[in-house]
Amino acid sequence: MIDATIVYRQIHPSFVQAGFPTSQAFRPTPKDESKLSVYDGDQITAENAFQHYINDLDLSSVGVMGLTVSECLEESLTVCSDPEPFREHAVIDFSGLSDKDCRNKSKKLQSKAVHRGWLHRAS
Amino acid sequence: MTIKPFLRPRITGARFAGGAIPLEVLADFAVLSEMILEVAKWKYREDNPSRQRVPRGFSEGISLKLTGVEEGSSIPVISLVVGSALLIQTESEQYFNAARDTVISAVAAAEQGTRITDHLPEKLLGYFDRFGRNLAEGEAIELESAATQQRARLTKDTRRKLVLASSAKHYTEETSVYGLVHEFDQRAKTFQLTLPTGEILKGIPADSQHYDSILEAHKEFRNQQRVRVTGVGRFDVFDKLLEIGSVEHVVPLDPLDVVVRIEELKLLKRGWLDGKGEAIDSQKLDWVVEAFQNYYADDAKLPYLFPTPEGHLLAEWSLGENSVSLEIDLGTRIADWHVLNLTSNDEESKQLDLRKSDSWELISNAVKKMGGVSE
Repeated sequence: MIDATIVYRQIHPSFVQAGFPTSQAFRPTPKDESKLSVYDGDQITAENAFQHYINDLDLSSVGVMGLTVSECLEESLTVCSDPEPFREHAVIDFSGLSDKDCRNKSKKLQSKAVHRGWLHRAS
Repeated sequence: MTIKPFLRPRITGARFAGGAIPLEVLADFAVLSEMILEVAKWKYREDNPSRQRVPRGFSEGISLKLTGVEEGSSIPVISLVVGSALLIQTESEQYFNAARDTVISAVAAAEQGTRITDHLPEKLLGYFDRFGRNLAEGEAIELESAATQQRARLTKDTRRKLVLASSAKHYTEETSVYGLVHEFDQRAKTFQLTLPTGEILKGIPADSQHYDSILEAHKEFRNQQRVRVTGVGRFDVFDKLLEIGSVEHVVPLDPLDVVVRIEELKLLKRGWLDGKGEAIDSQKLDWVVEAFQNYYADDAKLPYLFPTPEGHLLAEWSLGENSVSLEIDLGTRIADWHVLNLTSNDEESKQLDLRKSDSWELISNAVKKMGGVSE
């Protein structure tokens, strides 16, 4: 992954209203152990990431939004590959941050992703 | 011509306050007139089993007419108008009066839970599919016979019982649903609606006056542009909506409509977030609707509303360079208000007690001040 690499984030159906995603979609939940799961855009397309997520992993998504590695770094969030669950898996690391910091950074990521727009949506 | 008092049904419910009767409700009384005539004929045949049909001219020169609306309440005055040649009470007139009393008895039976078909045969009960169709929840037509003093209230509930006691396996009533237009067949002039439960309503008539609304909603399907469809719905005995046969209105809904969004959130079951995620208590969500309707300023932009994995609610506004959120603990009704300026990183946060109207005023004013004024 380089700074320009786009990482893909799947958006849960309940986390979207009128095409707008909640900031919650851009921060880890307690079960995520401070790591926000994404797909490495150097290894997979947004559409294939979506298909893998809903078909192979059998999870819910209405579509894919994206952030570049440098956009995450601007918020002091590192992005690294984590091929353990599957080859294209990567994480945005929120380790050591307070709830307040997580909220602020998720709002910044949300804004950047919304600005870029949907990279793939369920048909 | 002689005008004789026949029936003074009293219509109750908020829509009828101040003596106003919506015109569509008057259509129900046209059906009542038809029903009274048919019941009168049936009673005649019951009394005269040797006759296959009523005498010629049975209903000639006799009719039911609306002769006034009583002031101060919604009471249409229905009179029996008898032709000039019939100054004394005729046999037909007696049967019209008996028909009225029988109809009232049938409604009373439905109200009291006794056997409806002791009063009217199944085929005549079918008229109730149209008489009272326009009644909404909480409304009633109170009927009283001047001759027998019997009273009965026709409501949505009693009407449903009357229709289902007929030979019909379905009943129809005015209904309103909302959903997404996922298919619009312009050649067949029908469209399909995905309801919030995921169920699909097919073959809804797309009349030309509704074309633009349907087309726009279809185009905006992916952006979740919902429409509210009002018309005559056909229901089965389990009150399940089977189809909408005729459509009166197709109205695009505000994508941020709080009532609609809350109804969607009520459908979330435990585990909604891929196995995690608490369901949100419906009563607590009802309070959210009430609070927004009562305290949130009409001219302030509505928020996006999202469930949280913990079973609470997150309201978010995207207002220029400000990302605004209100995380509401639905148990305590205490909320975390947070504003982050995405450019300067300045932030403001405070706890608000949403049981107090002051808190809602603060939210409304802050949203408007940041440019969140509804169009």
